[in-house]
Amino acid sequence: MFGTIRGLSLALFLLFSATCSFALHESDVGVVDWHKRLIGVPSAGSLATSPVFHRIPGRNTQSVVITATESNVLGAVSPVNGSLVWRHVFQPEDRISRFNKRGSVVTSLSGPGGANLRTFDALTGDLLLEKQLHSPQVGLLSEPHHLGTYISFGNETKGSPELFVLTNGHTVQHIVGGKIKWSWTSEDQGSLVTYSNLVATSQSIFAIGLAKSFASYTLHVTALSPATGEIISASHISSSISNGLTDFVVLDQSASQPHIVWVEDNTLKFIELTPALNAKPSYPKDKLFSKIVDLGLGSRGLFVAIKEDGTGHIMGLNSGFMESIKEFESSGHSDRNTESMYAGGLDKNETPYIARVYWSHTLRLVSVELYSPYHGDGKGLLTGFSFAFDTFQHGVVSHFTFDAANPQPYQVLARVCLTTSTGSIQLWQQDSLQWVREESLANINAVQFVELPEKLSDSSERGEREGFSSRLGRQLRDAKDFPQYLMRFIKRFATGSYESASSAAAAHTTTSGVPSRDTFGFRQLIVAATSHGKVYGIDSSNGNILWSRILGLGSVVEDGAHVVPIENKMFTVKTVGDVNGDAETAGPGVPELVLIGKRVLKSGATTGNLLYHFNALTGADATTSRKSNVGLLQGADVADSLVDAYLLNAEDKGKVVVILDGDMKVHLYPDTPSTRSLFSSYTSSFAVPVRLPEAAHGQYRVVGHQIASSTGVSKKPEFSAYPAWTLSLPEGEDIQSIIPATHGPVASIGKVLGNRTTLYKYLNERMFVLLTEPHSRSSAATSLSKAGCGLYLVDSVKGSVIYKTKLPASPGGSCNVKAVLTENWLVYHYFDDDYRGTGQSKGYRIVSVELYEGKQPDDKIRSSDMTSYSDKNLDITAHAQSFVYLHGVTAIATTSTKFGITSKDVIVANTNNKIHSLSRRFLNPRRPVGRKPTTEEAEEQLIQYDSLLPDDPRRVISHRYEVANTRQIVTSPALLESTSLVFAYGLDLFLTRVAPSSTFDVLNENFNKMQLVLTVSALAVAILITKPMVQRKKLKEKWYQ
Amino acid sequence: MARPTVLFLLYSSLFVLTQAFELNGKISWNDVCPGYKQLGPARVILDTGEMSGSVMKDGSFSIPNVSAGTYVLSVLSHDHWFDQLRVDVQDETTAEVRTYVAGTPLNPPSSFLLPYPVALEAKGKYNYFVPPESFNLMGMLGSPMMLIMIFGGAMVLGLPYLMKNMDPESLAEFKEQQAKMSQMQNAMTSGDFKGLSALMAAPEDNRPAQPVSNKAQGSGKNRGNKSRKH
Repeated sequence: MFGTIRGLSLALFLLFSATCSFALHESDVGVVDWHKRLIGVPSAGSLATSPVFHRIPGRNTQSVVITATESNVLGAVSPVNGSLVWRHVFQPEDRISRFNKRGSVVTSLSGPGGANLRTFDALTGDLLLEKQLHSPQVGLLSEPHHLGTYISFGNETKGSPELFVLTNGHTVQHIVGGKIKWSWTSEDQGSLVTYSNLVATSQSIFAIGLAKSFASYTLHVTALSPATGEIISASHISSSISNGLTDFVVLDQSASQPHIVWVEDNTLKFIELTPALNAKPSYPKDKLFSKIVDLGLGSRGLFVAIKEDGTGHIMGLNSGFMESIKEFESSGHSDRNTESMYAGGLDKNETPYIARVYWSHTLRLVSVELYSPYHGDGKGLLTGFSFAFDTFQHGVVSHFTFDAANPQPYQVLARVCLTTSTGSIQLWQQDSLQWVREESLANINAVQFVELPEKLSDSSERGEREGFSSRLGRQLRDAKDFPQYLMRFIKRFATGSYESASSAAAAHTTTSGVPSRDTFGFRQLIVAATSHGKVYGIDSSNGNILWSRILGLGSVVEDGAHVVPIENKMFTVKTVGDVNGDAETAGPGVPELVLIGKRVLKSGATTGNLLYHFNALTGADATTSRKSNVGLLQGADVADSLVDAYLLNAEDKGKVVVILDGDMKVHLYPDTPSTRSLFSSYTSSFAVPVRLPEAAHGQYRVVGHQIASSTGVSKKPEFSAYPAWTLSLPEGEDIQSIIPATHGPVASIGKVLGNRTTLYKYLNERMFVLLTEPHSRSSAATSLSKAGCGLYLVDSVKGSVIYKTKLPASPGGSCNVKAVLTENWLVYHYFDDDYRGTGQSKGYRIVSVELYEGKQPDDKIRSSDMTSYSDKNLDITAHAQSFVYLHGVTAIATTSTKFGITSKDVIVANTNNKIHSLSRRFLNPRRPVGRKPTTEEAEEQLIQYDSLLPDDPRRVISHRYEVANTRQIVTSPALLESTSLVFAYGLDLFLTRVAPSSTFDVLNENFNKMQLVLTVSALAVAILITKPMVQRKKLKEKWYQ
Repeated sequence: MARPTVLFLLYSSLFVLTQAFELNGKISWNDVCPGYKQLGPARVILDTGEMSGSVMKDGSFSIPNVSAGTYVLSVLSHDHWFDQLRVDVQDETTAEVRTYVAGTPLNPPSSFLLPYPVALEAKGKYNYFVPPESFNLMGMLGSPMMLIMIFGGAMVLGLPYLMKNMDPESLAEFKEQQAKMSQMQNAMTSGDFKGLSALMAAPEDNRPAQPVSNKAQGSGKNRGNKSRKH
């Protein structure tokens, strides 16, 4: 056994010493990797943040669709092809409140109460201005987030408009060229009146807000001088608004004075705003409307008012009179159609259009009606079109915006940009779909790599009983391909174009629709479940979406409810290797996945959990009862409350999903007698740590659970979990997270040292990482001078702490420790704040810890198959070394390979938007400190310790790509032992392959076949030349000897 | 009405003053990074990035709300690297900027003060790729191995002619040498180190028949030794 290990390590040593660096050629970009830049799902809830078309003036007018998103990104998408023009990723604590655009600039307010003002170039996204208007600590946290902020544009000076900015609901600031010219704060600091709108005219700036009065709101307007910011006048408008922000609109036509329109007791009222604020509200008679809709066309004096029966009217203000310009026919409440949505848009002459969009249940079409009040010879022009919107693929339309073109007097064309409930952005030009961006992939909750089956050969032709003649015929038919095959063979032999480790992972051409793998298994399927209730099958070779399914709601179908997959609760229950019955006849197995999601109602409450079981290759339902891949993917209700779910992988006996519910009862999936008996045979070794809230302090604790089986009423074994141990933590420490170890094949159980002794790895499969943070509410944490973060390695069966360390918390008191545990190797990253002592420095640290059995080399306790209750379990030695890493880290993972022989690299996603591969050689915790390595250590490939990890750009596997806000990195083995696939997701998606020990199992692509061929042919020529010479010489010798 | 407004203005400006320090600085363009377009979106952070400011189009940045303390300032730029700086914020108005080398202790601080506002410039551009190895006939022929091969080939072809032109005395000497060489080679390949050392030690020994017998003897002896040992 050890001889083999030794031999293996020697062989590997030779391999590694041959080539140990891994780097990317520029020609490999886009071949071995791909990167999808996303912006996230548009925040379509309000006009302040939702997508909007913007035409940028200039020599070539160019349009972009600008939106703020749930991922806190402000981005611009090209309406022509859906490509991302620019984006600005905001920090998580700096949430976008609103944005506004004018000409060539886009201005945004973000942070609490709109603390930060930014101005961007609308075409390039260049940051023109960044300014903090007030400290985030004094910012008003409001819901909705855009309340109390507003951006209004004034005159242009030097190409950039002056800004009037309302922040915190009570402060108005005038900003010219990045400098605050004046600032006004309301007297009562916003306690009575919260301002929400700002209208800038040449004579005055109107701040419009709502004052809370008994059971309703009253409109309040303050007029300020544009030059100095002094109050001209302030007035309460006698009004009673019940719904707050949604019940009034401000019309700020440049031609006349601005007006406020609001709904009060089902009547429409409006008032003209003059600097003196002395106008009286007027209400047109018999204008009974229950709701008004702001179209964003306030500057044109247009809005939509909705009657009680749901009929929408376009309303306009004309020289002091309110009139209904157009009634949308049959837009009232109906069983056949959904409620209408309204939006305003412009064409390139800035002429306004109003559109109504609804979904027809009967026709299954989305209909768009477009009205342009100024066309059709001034009488108004109504056009419309419908398109087939695939509701089973994209859910329902949650928002739309459009722009229009008027090429001929009676023709109006529209480009409609839809945001769907599944988080996709679509652009429809009239009734044809131009492009789709699946932005919900910025919110992936669970990911699994799925190995693809090999391409099926055409063996189906070959019957069982084949006569001689038919066989001859088949072989003759096959023989017609022989010349082609011969040509291919010769060509391949001469040019040496074999598949190499860096060739594109294009699959062999398939006739069937089922995807198949490439030679080296680089082409796999990434199945990703997003928080918007959709599952995608993504081709790992190019990032294309092969299939997608919406998660159905199961038994409880309620409007507005959706399914949110639970973080990382997706399991592979069947792989390509799992074949039913005879492998010869059945062919490769069809991989199947199980996903667990929770049902979230419109109110945000969760009711019940659902389990989805589907075919990973096509997305089709894999349960026997419903085998279809049309419509929604339906799941089965599993447990009302779910604590955790696990996959029991009993190798060739099958895989069982184990679900632990709130009552600590165990549910199995699939639930059959055979899985029950399988699970009962595993109960003794099944132990799980569960994070439970403690009632007393609002603190969390970790309780280890084991499984007890009993015989239920129906004579079937029932399982339930019972607490086996509780981890006692120091006071003031709260559980932050539990990180399970990364399991994979272990190639060697020890490490052979230079002096031929062996360090045996401590391989305890039950280990997990526990991260703690200072408890926020506990008095102990605040009283302690500096509460720290803790990192523990805990045995899940017994609860014994195998390794622990205390780390400093960040200056803000939070713990941001990232850790990964594989085999006996733990790597963690944290920020060290302590610099006051000598020799100390602030900065990020990466610590590498390796656990070995016993006290010295050759000590052996057989940890891999030892029980947790053995007292020898803690007889270990930990080697640890700390390194300085220059960047913050958002995700950490190790590479994984098929057999685990290849050394493991640590892959980190850093705050510099890069994916960095850290070599195992540099992270070896046994590097000699302060001296040159001895020959024995050099034989082990140990290099002298240097506290700074080299920041080698050639190890940045994401190279030029900016992979923003990576939340998690997943690795998957390829068929080649040397290579591992790395998939990073967060905001962006990024996939590449890495070979930590270089591609030792494939002929290096640098291998010069040309040189070989030339040398061989040169030798052949030499033989041809020298052969007659030698013969002549021999003949001569025979004559003259 | 005017009075309270002025008062409030005062109040708010006081409020801004009692806030903390605003750290300003500028990235100046150089040959490595000639402009905003090349730099891309970049952020200047203190320590972990809880306090940060984005780089604007003119290269300037400002980090608001910096409380007194010692910080490490770094630039988060995707494609360019910048020096880290040590920034000591004393109070609301003064800050000291010093050079700092990553990974070295922060204390004692470097005595060399850099000017404030912070001035930064790109020190280098990351190169993520290694150039591909291309096939080069001259390079291939120029490699030492190839040169030896070519020389050897030339010698094989040219040696008979050379020998023909040599005078008989030196020819005899040469042949003698060659025989010894081949003998040595034989000894090497058969692993007969004794015979080899004997050959080396006795240069006068030049009987042509010796190599064969010597070899057989030596190897036999060797084998005998081995068997005796076991």
